[in-house]
Amino acid sequence: LSTARPSVNPLQTVPFGTGLTLHRTTLRNGLKLLMLPDATAPVLSFHLWYGVGSRHAKAGKTGISHLFEHLMFNETRKLPAGELDRLIEARGGSTNASTWVDWTHYHTDLPAGELDFIARIEAERMHHLVLNDAALTSEKDVVMNERRFRVDDDIEGTVGEKLYSLAFTRHPYRIPTIGHMRDIKGFTRKDCEQFYKTYYAPNNATMIIAGDLKPKQALACIEKHFGKLKPARIPAPRKVVEPAQRAERTAELRWPTPTAKIVLGYKSPAFPDEAYGVLTVLNEALFGGRGSRMWRRLVHKTGLCADVQASPSPFADVGLYEMSFSLRQGAKVREVLRVVDEELRDIQRTPMSEAELSKVKNRLELGFLLGLESAYGKAEQAGFFEVVAGDATGLFTRLETYRTVTAKELQSCARTLLNKSTRTRVTVLPKGGRP
Amino acid sequence: MTARVSAKLAKPSKKPTKSSSAMELVTADGVPLLIERSDAVPLVHVQLTFSRGTVHDPVGKEGLSRLLSKMLRMGTKQLRASDVEDRVDSMGAQLSIGAGASYLGVSGVVVERNVEEFFQLIGELLTAPAFRPKDLAQQKRETLASLEQLCDDDRSLCGRHFRALAMGKHPYGRPIGGSSKSVRAVQLKDIEAQYRKLITAKDLVIGVAGPLSGERVAELCDKHFSRLPRRAPVVEHVAEPEAPKGLRIVVVDKPERTQTQVAIGTTGTHSRDRDHVPLIVANTAFGGLFSARLTQEVRVRRGLSYGASSSVGVDRARELWSMWTFPSATDAVGCIELQLKLLADYVAEGPSERELQRAKSYLIKSHAFEIDTADKRLDQRIDEIVHDLPKGYHDNFLDQVRAVDRASAHAAMAKRIRVDALAMVVVATAKDIVPALKALPGVSSVDVVPFDRI
Repeated sequence: LSTARPSVNPLQTVPFGTGLTLHRTTLRNGLKLLMLPDATAPVLSFHLWYGVGSRHAKAGKTGISHLFEHLMFNETRKLPAGELDRLIEARGGSTNASTWVDWTHYHTDLPAGELDFIARIEAERMHHLVLNDAALTSEKDVVMNERRFRVDDDIEGTVGEKLYSLAFTRHPYRIPTIGHMRDIKGFTRKDCEQFYKTYYAPNNATMIIAGDLKPKQALACIEKHFGKLKPARIPAPRKVVEPAQRAERTAELRWPTPTAKIVLGYKSPAFPDEAYGVLTVLNEALFGGRGSRMWRRLVHKTGLCADVQASPSPFADVGLYEMSFSLRQGAKVREVLRVVDEELRDIQRTPMSEAELSKVKNRLELGFLLGLESAYGKAEQAGFFEVVAGDATGLFTRLETYRTVTAKELQSCARTLLNKSTRTRVTVLPKGGRP
Repeated sequence: MTARVSAKLAKPSKKPTKSSSAMELVTADGVPLLIERSDAVPLVHVQLTFSRGTVHDPVGKEGLSRLLSKMLRMGTKQLRASDVEDRVDSMGAQLSIGAGASYLGVSGVVVERNVEEFFQLIGELLTAPAFRPKDLAQQKRETLASLEQLCDDDRSLCGRHFRALAMGKHPYGRPIGGSSKSVRAVQLKDIEAQYRKLITAKDLVIGVAGPLSGERVAELCDKHFSRLPRRAPVVEHVAEPEAPKGLRIVVVDKPERTQTQVAIGTTGTHSRDRDHVPLIVANTAFGGLFSARLTQEVRVRRGLSYGASSSVGVDRARELWSMWTFPSATDAVGCIELQLKLLADYVAEGPSERELQRAKSYLIKSHAFEIDTADKRLDQRIDEIVHDLPKGYHDNFLDQVRAVDRASAHAAMAKRIRVDALAMVVVATAKDIVPALKALPGVSSVDVVPFDRI
């Protein structure tokens, strides 16, 4: 008779939308497991989120979460360098990862029937990654190239970095996820080993598996590979309160480009907040497609802009509602700002019509459904809500917010959030040009 | 958000042969109607694809078909452009009208409850476009603005110049969206003429994926698409492109670049060539996977570039084979030398047995992801018609992959990828790189163009 305590808690089930069931449990070592069985296609999408991102970086060590994400594809105790990719690709799979402010996300798509394989690999690299100087040097070079690609030679990346460093004075959201070049260059093996020991543990991870799987068998498989991994002492998250912004902050950049650009960032609600859902609806009215207010006014009617885009940052804490405007050659920055402010004042003063509100809600519902078509989409969305908002099924609560929000609530949201005093503005001017 | 790798592999695959939900019907007008039934989500995907595209733009009017596609969205005599956008949004739909080298296509998705209204709108836009002069002026303005924006995107700049260099005067080498000069030259009568040339039910295939029965789809198509013009399709032969000899280089000169964008390539295969699939397998082993030779040598072993990949293009005529990297400005020439050596060695020797087996295994086993949603399955079937692929191309693809051996993969590389006939485009600050590029072996020309001449 075995008297050992089972290392897994019982599975709980909750409805996930109308046709699916979410099965969830937590292993005794703290690993959260969510499963979404869906046999519409013979595929599996396996996602592992770690609760560490660029907000956790210490001074002088910016970019370590992202560099480490790269290193996780190298050598493990049982897998020589490069073997992980070779094994996944030989099975017809594809794998990738991403890092942002609050998390690091690894995902692998494989044909159905490969759960045992990928669980073994992920458990291996969660606990037995091998770090060596040669791989670190090469990966640092790759990341420095990525930084040149995404930031140093890219106007959007450069502006984004400037915007966040200006908008946040204390909160670590001011740190670029990819890190500063000098910090990337300076990372040592010791830095990486320490980071790994600190953050890569089952009790700092959330696993989501969607696709052609049987929950009980899948649970047994995960328990087999992860059940014996030891939890770590994860540092309590630093609570940093960003001081209230009381005046507009501005910066100007010169760039080799034929056209000017303006990027605005208003302080926006944290993603888990219901107000974030309301802002998403407001954003859809202002910037959602060619029928939106800003597109019609700035691109279609006045021809001042070539493109307008916006979105609120989906962060665990207060972030930025980012708006970007690509000006036509010859258009004046102050003229575009005047029109933008006019449109924002209008949405603050006049409630949206029912027809416009209904249109916006329909657009959001469509986007929501499109995101749930594939196994990857389901796992990615459920995982994101679980990690950032604390509940995978919050996805459907958010949809309900979209459906039920009123014109009055949107007006109130616009009045509360769209104030110049909480705005940060970065303007890009062509080198040699005038505003 | 930053990610480990951004390169995507485009490749053909196979449609399902069992439990298939595929239907093929013909509308009352004789238009092929492809259906993929799926109840997974309450969305209906619709595609109307006319099998002629930008290769039929007149010389000097490049971008005409793309402008036509934009004008089709600008409404009818009864509907203004803003009414069209309002109707699309109100239905919970997305609508896209665009043109490529070999097609002009309308594609969209709508929540199931509004499918009838969506089909009706598409039918109205295609059969009774208004073609107002002020709308054309607006669309030309927007197109010129997007060409200006292109100057900020080094990767797209590289792709545009690479296609022009590698394809030369062939229609595939002309920019799909046109140039600032050619877009300005387009007049309303050109739009009307191009409409008559491209929009005909005799050149159309319709595809629908979603929770609708074949009967219902046929009924909707007959009701809303039966008034499309039925003119005889245009017949213009598109010749096979040929790659001139030598290593021809164009440097797109942009100030203050710390990083370069590099594209190197030549003409590849036609889908009807016997060595087409062997070349796809050989390319997969060379640069189509993260574990492939090019990526391992350039990125993993040396850290020279964040991305390194190669791909085989497929269209009605022979398309391009190309490889892409983006090394730092200081590493660019070393990276290019390495790429040329890797390519020469690979063409001379072909893949190793291990590389070949890995590539084949990937292509065979990953097919599940080519068909995991109804609209992807539909894409494959339409792709076969639009790109004039051999009948059963996707159905037979996996068997053809299985049949590839080292000898056939090597032969395909050796025959199609001529290392003495390569085009190379580098987006960089010219003064920093041109002397070293001129010193590369086999260089026949190095030209410099300003980045903002679009």
